Amino acid sequence: MLGRRSFLKDSLCGIGSLALVSLMRDEQLRAATRNPLAPKPPHFNGAKAKSVIFLFMAGGPSHIETFDPKPLLNELNGQRRPSSFGDAKYQFVESDAKLLGCQRKFARYGKSGIEVSDLFQQTAECIDDIAVIRSCHGHKVVHSAAQYELLTGRTVPGFPSMGSWSVFGLGSESDSLPAYVVMPDPDGALEAGQPMYTNGFLPAVYQPTMFRPGATPVRNLNLPAGISLAERRRTVDLIRKLNEAHLAAEDDEFAARISAYELAFKMQTEAPEVFDLSDEPQSTLDLYGVGKDPTDDYARRCLMARRLVEKGVRFSVVVSGGGPGNKQWDAHKDIEENHLRMAAQVDQPMAALLKDLKQRALLDSTLVLWGGEFGRSPEAQGGKGRDHHNLGFTMWMAGGGVKGGQAIGATDDIGLKAVESPYHFRDVHTTILHLLGLDQDQLTYPHLGRDERLTEIQGELIKGIIA
Amino acid sequence: MSSYFTFPRRIAAAIPILTTVLICAAECIAEDEYFDYEREHWAFVERGDWPVPSFDDVRHQCWVRTPIDAFVLRKQLERNLRPSPEAARETLVRRLTFQITGLPPALQEVEVFVSDESPNAYERLVDRLLASPHYGEHWGQHWLDVVRYAETEGFEYDAHRPGAWRFRDYVIQSLNEDKPYDQFVREQLAGDELNPEDHASLAAAGFHRLGPVRRNAGNAEVAFSRNEVLTERTDAIGAAFLAVTVGCARCHDHMFDPIRQTDYYRLQAFLASSFEHDVELATDDEKAAWRVASKAVEAEVKRIKDSLKDAPAEDEERLLAELNTAQAKMPLPLPTISSIKNDAKERTLIHLLERGDPEKPGELVTMRPPGVLLPEGAEGLPDDIPTPRTHLAEWITDAKNPLTARVIVNRLWLYHFGAGLVTTPNDFGINGGIPSHPELLDYLANELVAGGWQLKPIHRMILLSSTYRQSSEPNAEFHAIDPDNRRLWRFSRRRLAADEIRDTMLAIAGTINLKAGGPSVIAPVDQELIDLLYKPSQWEVTPDEREHHRRSIYLIAKRNLRLPFMEVFDQPDLQTSCARRESSTHSPQALEMLNGKLSNQLAAAFAERLRREAGSAASDQANLAYRLVAGREPTEAERMLSTEFLASYSLREFALAMFNLNAFLYVE
Repeated sequence: MLGRRSFLKDSLCGIGSLALVSLMRDEQLRAATRNPLAPKPPHFNGAKAKSVIFLFMAGGPSHIETFDPKPLLNELNGQRRPSSFGDAKYQFVESDAKLLGCQRKFARYGKSGIEVSDLFQQTAECIDDIAVIRSCHGHKVVHSAAQYELLTGRTVPGFPSMGSWSVFGLGSESDSLPAYVVMPDPDGALEAGQPMYTNGFLPAVYQPTMFRPGATPVRNLNLPAGISLAERRRTVDLIRKLNEAHLAAEDDEFAARISAYELAFKMQTEAPEVFDLSDEPQSTLDLYGVGKDPTDDYARRCLMARRLVEKGVRFSVVVSGGGPGNKQWDAHKDIEENHLRMAAQVDQPMAALLKDLKQRALLDSTLVLWGGEFGRSPEAQGGKGRDHHNLGFTMWMAGGGVKGGQAIGATDDIGLKAVESPYHFRDVHTTILHLLGLDQDQLTYPHLGRDERLTEIQGELIKGIIA
Repeated sequence: MSSYFTFPRRIAAAIPILTTVLICAAECIAEDEYFDYEREHWAFVERGDWPVPSFDDVRHQCWVRTPIDAFVLRKQLERNLRPSPEAARETLVRRLTFQITGLPPALQEVEVFVSDESPNAYERLVDRLLASPHYGEHWGQHWLDVVRYAETEGFEYDAHRPGAWRFRDYVIQSLNEDKPYDQFVREQLAGDELNPEDHASLAAAGFHRLGPVRRNAGNAEVAFSRNEVLTERTDAIGAAFLAVTVGCARCHDHMFDPIRQTDYYRLQAFLASSFEHDVELATDDEKAAWRVASKAVEAEVKRIKDSLKDAPAEDEERLLAELNTAQAKMPLPLPTISSIKNDAKERTLIHLLERGDPEKPGELVTMRPPGVLLPEGAEGLPDDIPTPRTHLAEWITDAKNPLTARVIVNRLWLYHFGAGLVTTPNDFGINGGIPSHPELLDYLANELVAGGWQLKPIHRMILLSSTYRQSSEPNAEFHAIDPDNRRLWRFSRRRLAADEIRDTMLAIAGTINLKAGGPSVIAPVDQELIDLLYKPSQWEVTPDEREHHRRSIYLIAKRNLRLPFMEVFDQPDLQTSCARRESSTHSPQALEMLNGKLSNQLAAAFAERLRREAGSAASDQANLAYRLVAGREPTEAERMLSTEFLASYSLREFALAMFNLNAFLYVE
C-alpha cells in the first residue's frame, strides 16, 4: 500500500539526521522571516512610537469633571441650556433638562499650567508630558456603537480594532508574548463585548489576547494538570520530528507551523516570568499602588502593561470599568459618587505608569492614550447624574513622540460641542497610526470588494501634537 | 422562470478585458446611462456557449475525463504546464471524504476503496458521499459563512433570536435533498411571500434577520436604526447572491463598479415593507401556560426595575444582580420561526440619502435592480405591489441573470480547489478578480442552469474530473511558472477548517455525537470568557453532556462569544459575509492544541481507543493512530519515532501529538 513517495521520504531520512537537522535550521530561519508576526518596517522613517498603551475609561468619563473646566456651567447651574449653544441628542435626558454645574476643583499644573481637576491630582503632575485633546467627538451616543467606533473606527461590529491593525502593520517585537493584549476590568464586561477588540476580517494571527484576572492571565499557557514541562517538551519534540519526517523542501506553511510550536513552547516557559510581579522592588509596587485599596487592581494591570512594553508587546488595552453601568464611568445617577470612586482607582496607577515609563526611557517609544467612548452631558440626568455625550469630550495622549504640556482644541463654554479644532475618532486613529510610522492609506486589507482601513474615510492628523 | 425585469443583450467577449479606467462615472455620464465598458464587464454580460477544447495528442485525450479537464488542460499547455499524476488512492478517499462531508473516512471505507479494483470504484465513492446526510452539514456551513449566519443579534444585548437554528436546518436539508439553487435563493429572499403557510419557507426567509441588529435603551434613533437594518440586509443580498459590492454605493456612486447611488437605494427599496416576524408555533394552551409563567417573572423583573429607579448608587450592583437572576427564570421561548413579513402600511419611504445619512434624504426612489444589468431606461416597480421581494428573487434567479449562476458555481469551485476561478467570490465587479478560466466558468454555469439548478451534478462533474484527482506534490519547475497554481497543475493542499478539526478530533477519539438538527448546543467554556459577556446568564450550558460532542455546525453561533478553539483556527467573526476563510498559522493554535481542554480531553479518549482497539503493542498502536489521523500507514521513520516514544512515555501524550501532525491537519 505504501507508494513510491513514502519510500523516497524514508530514504531521505536515512541519509543522516545531521543533514536533515541543518536543512531544518535553514528552514526555520527562513520561516522566521515568513512569520506574519515578524517585525515589519514602518511606512515612513522618523516615527518614535513602537508600542501603544490605551488606558480605556469605559462607559464615558466626563470631560467636564476632569480635563475641561467650564466655569460658565456653574453659573448656569439649574437653568435650561441657552439656545445659542445649539441642539444635542442624548440617550436619555430630554430637551427640558437643566444644566448641572461641576463640583470638582481645577488647578493649574506643571510648566504648561494646564488645568486639571482634583480627580486626577497625581496624573496632573505629569501634565507636561501630556497633550490634552479637548475637542474629540464621535458619531454615536450609545455605548456599544460608540465603543465599536472608538476601537475599530466603525459603529457596527465586524471590523478590526486599532490593536489588530497596529500588529498587522508592524508585526511583533516579542517572540514569547502575544503582540496585542487586552486587560479587561475584572468587574465585568462592556456593552460592545469581544467584537470591539477583535481582528474582524484580518487573519486570526492578529487577534487580541484577553488577559484574565489572577496569576495566569493567558489561556492555555498553563500545562494541563499532571503534565510536567519536561514531559511536554518531549511531546513537542515528537510532534516536530514526526512533522519534519514529512516536510517537503521549501514548504513555507509547514515550516511556519514548526516555528509556531517552538514559539508556543517559548511563551509557555518565558511569559509566566513576565506575568509575575514579585520581582518588582517594593518602591515600584508602592509607586503604582499595588497592594493598596482601591488602586490595587488597576495598578497591577498598569504595571503589567509596562512590563509588556519592555518585552516588545505592540498594543495593550488597560480597561477601567466593567459590568453594570455604575461600575464603569457611566455616571447616569450621580456623577460625583461615580467619578470620585472610579478616579480613585486609576489616578495613581496612571501617573505611576507615565513616571515609570519616563524614568526607564520608554516613554519616548510608548504612546499612552487615555479616554472613553464619549464624554458626559452638560445637563443633569435625574438631578445628580450626567448622560452620555458624543459631541465634544476629552482624550489625551502622552509619549511616543507626542508634544506634551499642551491643550488642543476646545469645546464651547458649557462643554456641549467641540468648537475649536474638532477631532473625530478617525483623526485620533490617524494620529495613532502616524505616531507608529503607519500611513492610513497604506494599511489596508481587502474585504467584500473594498480595501478597508482603520479610518474608513480620510482621517486628519491632529495638528501640533507631534514633538 | 422569467422575471418582470429583463436583461440587456450583451454577448461576452472571448477574453475578459481588465478595465483600468477608474473614474467616478456619475461626473461624466447621466443617471441610468452606462459606458460600453461598464455594460461589457465580463460578469455583467450574457454567458457564452463556448466549445469544449479538443486535443490531437492521445496522451491529452486520455487525461481529459470531463469538459472541465479540457478547459483546464488548454490553459496549462499555453504556459508549458502539465497536469500532475493522479494522487494515491488513500489520498483520494481522504480528500473526497473531507471535502464532501467534513469528516474523515472510516477505516473500513479506506480499505474498501483502496482495494476496490473495479473501474467505477471512484465514481461509486463520489456518489455514496454525495448522498450522505453529512454532505449538507458540511456544505451548509459554507453557505452559513456566506450569509453571515449567527443566532444572536450582536451589539450590547446580543439577544438570542428564538428558533434561529431553524434557518441552519433549512440550509442543511435543502442541500441534502439537492433543492434547485434558484428555488433555494427564492425561498431565502421571499419564502414568506411565496409560501406563507410553509414552515421551511418561513425559516428560509429568516435570511433577512441573520445580521447584527443594534437595539438600545433610551434614545431609540428610529430612523437611524431602521436605516442600519435595511443597509445590513441590502449588503448581504449583494454579497451573497450577486457578488456585487453594492454597499460601496450607499454614500456615493460606486468608485469602480457601474452601481450608481440610486441603484443602491432602489435595491434597498425591495426591502422597504419587510419587518421582523417571529412566527409562533405553539398551540393556544401552550401559549396560555407560557403567559402565566412569564407574567410571574415579568412582575418580579418590574419590581426590581422600579426599586432600581430610586435606589442609591451603592445598591445598584446588588439590584442588577437580582435582576439578572430574575430574568434568567423566564420560561424557555415557545417554538418560534425567526422570519420576516411585509407590512405595507409601515413601509419605509426609501430616499436617496446624501452620504448615506438618514437625516439628509434626497429624492424618493422606486424598487429596481441595478441599472447596468437592465435594458436602457428600465422602469421601477410601483411601491404598492404586494410581493416586492418575490420580484427581486425572480430577477436574481432568472436563467438569464448573468451573475447568479456564475457566482454559485464559483463558490463550489472555491470550496473544492481552495481558490475560485474568480478569486474574489463576493466581488465580481470591476475591481474584483477576473476569471482564470472564463469559458469554464460559463460552461459550469450553463450546465447548472440546464440541469435545473441542481448543485450535486456540478459537484459530481468536478469531483470526477482528472483535474480534481491530481496529486498535490510540489513541482519546482511548474511552481516557478505559476506559483499560485491558478492553472491547476496540481491539487492545492489545504488545512482543515476550524469545524473540521474539531469534528475530526471528536470522530477519531470515538466520542462524536452525530445527531442531526434541532436547537443549538451551548458547550461549556471557561467562566472567564462567559464573564466577558455583558449578560453572562445568556451562556446557559446545555445540560446533556453528550450534546457537547455534536458536530460544530450544531453549536450555537453567538456573536459576542465564539469558542476560542474555533476562533484560533480562523472561524469567521459572524458579523459580515465570509466568502473564503483565512488559514493562518500562529502559536496560539499550538497552545490551544497542546494545552487546551478539548484537545487534552479528546487525547485521553483517543488513547483509550488505541489501547482498546490496537492492544498494548506500540507498533500496533502507532499503525492504528496513523490510519485514523492520516488515513494511511505510518512510514518506517514515523513508526520508529512513534514506538520509541511509546516505549518510555504515555499513550495519552502520543495521542495528543497525533492531533498536532500536519498529516492530520492538512488534506493532500
